[in-house]
Amino acid sequence: MAGLIEPIGLGEPRPANVAELESELSALWRRAAEDPAAENAVTRACTLTLLIYVESDEAAYEVTNLVAEVTRQNPCRAVIMMLEPEATTAGMEAWVSAHCHLPVAGEKQVCSEQITIRARGEAGQGLASVVLPLAVSGLPIFLWWRAGDFSPPPYFDEILRVTQHVIVDTARFSPSGRHLQDLAAWVQRFSGKIQLTDLNWSRITPWRQLIAQCFDSPDRRPYLDRLSEVRIEYEQDSVRLVTQRAQGLLLTGWLASRLGWDFLRSERRDEAQPRVFYFKSAAGTVKVVRNLKRVDNACGVCFTIELRAEGASAARFSFQRGPDGKVVRTLAEVPGSLPMGRSVRLEVLDEVEILNEELKLGVRDRLYEEALSVVARMIAS
Amino acid sequence: MADTTTLSNPLREGIRIHRTPDPCAMVIFGASGDLTKRKLIPALFYLARERMLPAGFSVIGCARTRATEPSFRTEMGQAIKKYLKLAAESDAFVESFGEGIYYVADDFSDPAAYEQLKTLLDRLDRERGTAGNRLFYLATPPSFFPVIVKHLGAAGLAKPKLPEESWTRIIIEKPFGRDLSSARELNRVVTEVFKEEQVYRIDHYLGKETVQNLLVFRYANGIFEPFWNRRYINHVQLSVAEDLGVEDRGSYYEEAGLVRDMIQNHVLQLLSLVAMEPPATFDATSVRDEKAKLLRSIRPLSPDQIDEFTVRGQYAEGWVGGKKVPAYRAEPKVSPTSTTETYAALKFYIDNWRWADVPFYLRSGKRLPKRVSEISIQFRRVPHLLFKGVGTDGIEPNLLTVNVQPNEGISLRFCAKLPGATMQIRPVQMDFRYGESFGAPPPTAYETLLLDCMLGDATLFNRSDAVELSWELVDPILAHWREQGAKGLAFYQAGSWGPAEADALIEHDGRQWHRV
Repeated sequence: MAGLIEPIGLGEPRPANVAELESELSALWRRAAEDPAAENAVTRACTLTLLIYVESDEAAYEVTNLVAEVTRQNPCRAVIMMLEPEATTAGMEAWVSAHCHLPVAGEKQVCSEQITIRARGEAGQGLASVVLPLAVSGLPIFLWWRAGDFSPPPYFDEILRVTQHVIVDTARFSPSGRHLQDLAAWVQRFSGKIQLTDLNWSRITPWRQLIAQCFDSPDRRPYLDRLSEVRIEYEQDSVRLVTQRAQGLLLTGWLASRLGWDFLRSERRDEAQPRVFYFKSAAGTVKVVRNLKRVDNACGVCFTIELRAEGASAARFSFQRGPDGKVVRTLAEVPGSLPMGRSVRLEVLDEVEILNEELKLGVRDRLYEEALSVVARMIAS
Repeated sequence: MADTTTLSNPLREGIRIHRTPDPCAMVIFGASGDLTKRKLIPALFYLARERMLPAGFSVIGCARTRATEPSFRTEMGQAIKKYLKLAAESDAFVESFGEGIYYVADDFSDPAAYEQLKTLLDRLDRERGTAGNRLFYLATPPSFFPVIVKHLGAAGLAKPKLPEESWTRIIIEKPFGRDLSSARELNRVVTEVFKEEQVYRIDHYLGKETVQNLLVFRYANGIFEPFWNRRYINHVQLSVAEDLGVEDRGSYYEEAGLVRDMIQNHVLQLLSLVAMEPPATFDATSVRDEKAKLLRSIRPLSPDQIDEFTVRGQYAEGWVGGKKVPAYRAEPKVSPTSTTETYAALKFYIDNWRWADVPFYLRSGKRLPKRVSEISIQFRRVPHLLFKGVGTDGIEPNLLTVNVQPNEGISLRFCAKLPGATMQIRPVQMDFRYGESFGAPPPTAYETLLLDCMLGDATLFNRSDAVELSWELVDPILAHWREQGAKGLAFYQAGSWGPAEADALIEHDGRQWHRV
């Protein structure tokens, strides 16, 4: 297993020139290979081009550290695009570096390259002319939009034209929810051409898996058709409120789209009350309650989902992650059986872990598109 | 209680995450044994903790040891903590996993114990939603296999509880028989009770990531298949080396020997994957058909060829990893005049269009310098020397190496010019290592195979015909060696790469063992 990450050859910012950047990268590899301190040969590895959009120096610095981690599992050429459209002085500069993972004795050192481009003012319009030639030929291109709302400016069109995968994170979107609607529209527009991934959707994939597992048994499956209430509860004062809010919406959208519920209306008497969404299912009305709970020392890890089936044989299925943020306790209470619980690991996944998985998968997720479409209708109401 | 009409679960569809099997219960016979504690329970715990097992998944341990359910749970909890190489485990997970562990004391021949087992399985269906799906795992000594299988049949546990709606499967650990006739007999007993598609004969080598990757490597890359034949390949070597001796398995090893323990199963399985024809699809039937076809194409050694094409050895005293180790004959529970082989080297030919005249050298041994399993495919030398002043010896033939363990990966050796004014050529290595390239350790073989079995995917398990075909190949060799007694048994120093006779076997053909 590779050890620590060693950044090498951080180049100096200079006016962006593709040929010079490529030659600087070659020189960097030569230096790495000739480094007398390096006991092992250096292997250059690349499985994709990762374009990363950020909006500030701080974000670029932060993302550089993340890229170092990403390249452990997904060796790639990373191109960080830092745009400052409001800057008064126009200009584009770039520099190169490499991320090397220190190997254990006797193993080879594997390195990935990074190019950082800073475009100020109207120079941003020429971004594609520098970025596109730097994409590694023959390998897929991922665009990671690591900024706020996903709203690529028109001069991104050329980049999007050659991009196979766009990765966004609705946890970074503004709280209004309007941008989720915009995203749903964007997905429709590019459907089949560009695959969209939402890291926030990936964060709830294990939750979806846990919920699904509860209904695998043939005698539990019929309860799915009789669900009458869903409660999604998270922390009111959480630093991750936006993340959790979007997760709650996406979970609701997923349940509704998979179970064939039609959205009816939403209701909220006042800010202090939970938001309630009503859906129509084949068995009647389903109430989805989104409840914000006051938790001491809220940190955004507590999350509870409860599904209820009412009627003659009422049943309850709950999934709860407590403040330790690592364990989810599930409980199924159905008539004729003892309550059955289990604990499984479900930690709050960090950004790199999720991104790594998405880079490996790189496939279209129709379920997300369908869930997002329901969410757009919920928000519009 | 809700209706039990079978309906698909719409929430299952399209979740891009690990495959999760149907709800089920797993019964382990031989639950007090080492395999259960070291491998099975830790693998199941890991799968459960990582949400890869269904809700309500339950394990029933069956063993001859008198134990109570709480004491068995405690013992399994301790095994998880001891053998799982993970950071400090949360007790909550171990406790939660323990809630699904049950115990039935069984001397394997008492019909009442099977009735008790049946009652418990039915109870788990009701209480934990295991849906009538059962997986039996035979982790006992092989002598108990027929007994258990017959009793499972007699108790009505071999057939699916709900026809068309539930499944029953059985995993049988190796060794599957000790020769051709016992393997056939065991197959007969097993298939009298279970259908072949219910039977999963496990060989944990096949669960290793690199073994599966070998198939991907061959059939997902267009550039290799055209060269994968006698026209371009000079020979193939399969080496499975262990630095360990027989440890406390002396009495078992005296009965088995290296060929039964390694060659008949692991090594021939690897060989079949390396050499088989492309299957039509990547499913159990197609892949196993091709493997069987390949095994059928291996030319059996005639009695007069055995001495020429095989070498058997036994380790003498020596040094391994800086420690002095005793000779095999001095190991506990081993006869001081034992002729059991702890090393074997064999040469096979495959009689088909693809491999005609290409030798396959197989070697495996205990107390070798290190633990390593490797497949080396050596390509032919270049036909014509183009570079003046460079001897053909300076141009090493291309070598494709598949490392099965411990560092799973694939590497390719090719020639490159050294920088400079003169034409100097040196071999360089292009490596792909799992740990390095994907940064995450691959799942263990047992995790992979247990999950595959629960999912009904038998691709990586052995079919009865392959087992019998393998015995057909090694049976005459074992019979010949038995007749020879000590004659022809070569001794090698523990910690060496085997007897000199093994080097002579390959050198006779103008080749050398690849340094692993």
